[in-house]
Amino acid sequence: MVANVLSVQVVVGEQVVVGQQLLLLESMKMEIPVLSDAAGDVVEVAVAPGDVIQEGDLLVRVS
Amino acid sequence: MNDSLSKLVGTVGFASLTVRAADTAVALGSGDVPVLGTPRVVALAEAACVAALLDHLGSEQTSVGTRVELDHLGVSAVGSNVRASAEITSVVGSKLTFEVEVHAGSRLIAKGVITRAVVDRLQFLAKAAGQSRIE
Repeated sequence: MVANVLSVQVVVGEQVVVGQQLLLLESMKMEIPVLSDAAGDVVEVAVAPGDVIQEGDLLVRVS
Repeated sequence: MNDSLSKLVGTVGFASLTVRAADTAVALGSGDVPVLGTPRVVALAEAACVAALLDHLGSEQTSVGTRVELDHLGVSAVGSNVRASAEITSVVGSKLTFEVEVHAGSRLIAKGVITRAVVDRLQFLAKAAGQSRIE
């Protein structure tokens, strides 16, 4: 599965909660929000709007 | 001109389209919304493959589509400028494999793999005509 990164909702250093939207992807003509499955600090944002991502790619690291 | 087919790996071709009403899913019968229809995206990607072969096949040869695997990822409205690119990534006998991408501006809207077979034009048409008589 391939997707476009439409937007990124978080920045490094931001605190996020479980269920918070991190990114918005577009694939198969649908907009797909990516929600955090953990609470913590965003330590890395590996993608930017316009990037094309593949299954398994790192998007955002939260710890 | 008739290059050895295996030399064609890396050859690229392009095709572009401004989306019109006739290119929409509702016009093509492949859906009921007025946005670029998947069959038109497939045809554009195939056109890019054909463009890659331009000047590389002998006049007695042509290529025919044999397989399409395409993810249609993004929506394109009427008026959008859409561009397909195709690169030959492998040649096995007469079978050519192309990696294709379709962009609307910088946005990737489709990506996939297409295979085509190089055939003798006259033999192919004769065979097709024979089949139409049988049916």
